[in-house]
Amino acid sequence: MDAARAFLRHPSGMVGLVVLLVVVVIALIAPIVFPVSPWEMVSAPFTPPGEDGLLLGGDTLGRDVAAGVAYGARVSLVIGIASAMAAMVIGVTIGAISGYFGGKVDLVLMRVTELFQTIPAFVLAILLVATFNPSLLTIILTIGAVSWPPLARLTRAEFLRLRNREFVEAALCQGEGTLQIVLGHILPNAISPILVVTSLTVATAILLESALSFMGLGDPNLMSWGFMIGAGRTVIRNAWWMSVFPGLAILITVLAINLFGEGLSDVLNPRVSRRRS
Amino acid sequence: MSDAVRAKAPVLSVEGLSIALPEGGDRPFAVENVSFEVKPNEVVCLVGESGSGKSMIAHAVLSLLPKSVDIAAGAVIVAGQDPAKLDRQALRRLRGGEAAMIFQEPLSSLNPLKRVGRQIEEMILTHQKPMPSAIEVHERVQQLLTQVGLPNPKLLEKSYPFELSGGQRQRVMIAMAMANRPALLIADEPTTALDVTTQRQILRLIDDLRRDRGMGVLLITHDFGVVADVADRVVVLRHGKVVEQGTVEEVLRSPKADYTRELIDAVPKARLDEIRRTAVHPTPLLEVIGLEKTFRVKRGLLQPPREVVAADGVSLTLYEGETLAVVGESGSGKSTLGRMIMRLTEPDGGAIRFNGQDLRQLRGEALRQARKQLQIVFQDPFASLDPRQKVGDAIARGPMAFGTSRTEAMEQARKLLVRVGLNAVAADRYPHEFSGGQRQRICIARALALKPRVLIADEAVSALDVSVQAQVLALLAELRQEMKLAMIFITHDLRIAAEIADRVIVLQKGRIVEEGATADVFTAPQAAYTRDLLDAIPGRDFFDQPGFASVTGALPTARMSS
Repeated sequence: MDAARAFLRHPSGMVGLVVLLVVVVIALIAPIVFPVSPWEMVSAPFTPPGEDGLLLGGDTLGRDVAAGVAYGARVSLVIGIASAMAAMVIGVTIGAISGYFGGKVDLVLMRVTELFQTIPAFVLAILLVATFNPSLLTIILTIGAVSWPPLARLTRAEFLRLRNREFVEAALCQGEGTLQIVLGHILPNAISPILVVTSLTVATAILLESALSFMGLGDPNLMSWGFMIGAGRTVIRNAWWMSVFPGLAILITVLAINLFGEGLSDVLNPRVSRRRS
Repeated sequence: MSDAVRAKAPVLSVEGLSIALPEGGDRPFAVENVSFEVKPNEVVCLVGESGSGKSMIAHAVLSLLPKSVDIAAGAVIVAGQDPAKLDRQALRRLRGGEAAMIFQEPLSSLNPLKRVGRQIEEMILTHQKPMPSAIEVHERVQQLLTQVGLPNPKLLEKSYPFELSGGQRQRVMIAMAMANRPALLIADEPTTALDVTTQRQILRLIDDLRRDRGMGVLLITHDFGVVADVADRVVVLRHGKVVEQGTVEEVLRSPKADYTRELIDAVPKARLDEIRRTAVHPTPLLEVIGLEKTFRVKRGLLQPPREVVAADGVSLTLYEGETLAVVGESGSGKSTLGRMIMRLTEPDGGAIRFNGQDLRQLRGEALRQARKQLQIVFQDPFASLDPRQKVGDAIARGPMAFGTSRTEAMEQARKLLVRVGLNAVAADRYPHEFSGGQRQRICIARALALKPRVLIADEAVSALDVSVQAQVLALLAELRQEMKLAMIFITHDLRIAAEIADRVIVLQKGRIVEEGATADVFTAPQAAYTRDLLDAIPGRDFFDQPGFASVTGALPTARMSS
């Protein structure tokens, strides 16, 4: 729990965490503050911010932008976290197998990883979402499927570093099985950098989702930040608030996650935290 | 000041030096009220175990202390100047000019991207005013390289550090230190990373240079053998305080402080008269037959791979209850031998027969069962325990993998911890809470948890302080008796081999050059290589003198370390 205590003393990490918590709270209380669905037309179209009881104004169809931003937080967070998890599961599994067994297995898996790395992630994501029907689940899986290569590479590097360490060899000599060694000895010692990269993957996943929604490839039943910007972009010169507020929401959330992730990395990296103390 | 007076004036005097550690450390002072002098043409050894503050003193002399620690009291006077009070310019003139330093690890002390000749030149150019001509500098570099005994200086000055051996690198470091004819040479564990034969050459070189130039040498070491070989005077440090100081004769022959006596006793010594040849069981337990292993390191596209022979027809037999020492210098293939027996490294050819089976033919479950009876203790006690696993779990994991219930395995782990001299509550703590010696005890407990018949100790005590080393060796000797263990003791230190082994195998470049009972190998070595190794043992003349062994008595009993 030293790491938790050290994190509390990390200034920018704490700023990130607090902002992130605010976003989470907004996402949680959205249905209480805005009992009316964000898709409901509640005012005249093009209502500027502050008029007609709408804090952030209304959009081209008179829907409440504030409600949209609040409900969008739910979509962004769910998709961001779930797809980062998906990416972590895929990446760690492939990286662990590749790093632990080495040889031909490593060769094949790393070529596959490179294949995914050379195709631009966004193009592949568009392709996948367009092929399957866009829904919450397919979007999560798609983003997971295009975001795992860095995690696989990192996990592989960590496994290569730890595989020949003496405590791993000692476990082998003690008769422990492969799965036991990998899950019980190597992974716990490799987990810190993996967690850091996963937390930063959440931020890129949110951006990817927004970009997909902006292109009109989001889940049509979910009000998301990217969709709002996409819908408002054509009228940005006479109704800036429709795209600026969801845009700010993305900016702030992604920034907060990045600050949190970097704080985490500083705290979990023994070299940096020792220098601090 | 007349020349006669100057010759007697100390080149270094440390007066009541105290260095404060930052708050929250394990003690308030790294070094407390330390005073000693180094006169010209004198070698003073600063001896102490890890954490005694000996390196701190060396760093204070050149004002190289880390920012977080400060000199709290006292002063260091180098050639009439106090480095702590000098401005940057004067300090630069002092460092590498009046006083030079060499470090333990020559590879990390040299710039890997610069040719060594260039690095020595730099040393001269920084200090000589007016700047000498390029030809003069070049001549001086050649001269220095010749003086430190490096073959073919012309070729050598164009080499990069990675192309040189450890001993050659340390010679280059010494040449750099000598470049400006310093009055004081500080050597911080200069031979610890080197093989015994190289160690002897380097110590000799330092001693010769000292005599030629009449410089003062402050040599920092943990090895009393080294002290006995080169020192004029000795300062013994413990926890930052001077325990004892005096001439070598005084301190080594009749130590006044108990701590000094303990340290001297802890130096492993060949007690050949005491070695009883244990009646060994006639049946061989482990047979290694014609083991072959060559490592191939790929180089450039067109160059042939570099081949390193680690085993070239190595055969050995280990009997029940016997301790066999495998000695050799770095690169002799001794660790590879141990790893091949454990099947951690795959041999290219040969057979390993254990209990009637050939280990090399075993796969999967059969290998797992066989490995249970062969256990290994590694050199580095810090790398061989999983930092995220509690000590009790580390020991219990093995038996649990073979079907023992968790409660039973933990119970057994606690008993083993007590047996190796630790507390049963240690089971619930993490490895980082223990010292090196304690960790090595944990590793031994872990290896013994499976009740092996053969224990391979791969440099198991090399990373430990001498006093701790003696305790761990004593523990191993006791356990060997108690559990009827056969042991393969891999070490580079012949003194340790002589202390613990029944039989010795001497390896050189993957070949066995000599094999025999410990007493025979040590008293009547057959191979020239063995004789070289024996001659190179530091402090041999001193500690092997008649009558000395009787003072030291038997093995100290195993006790809790630090």
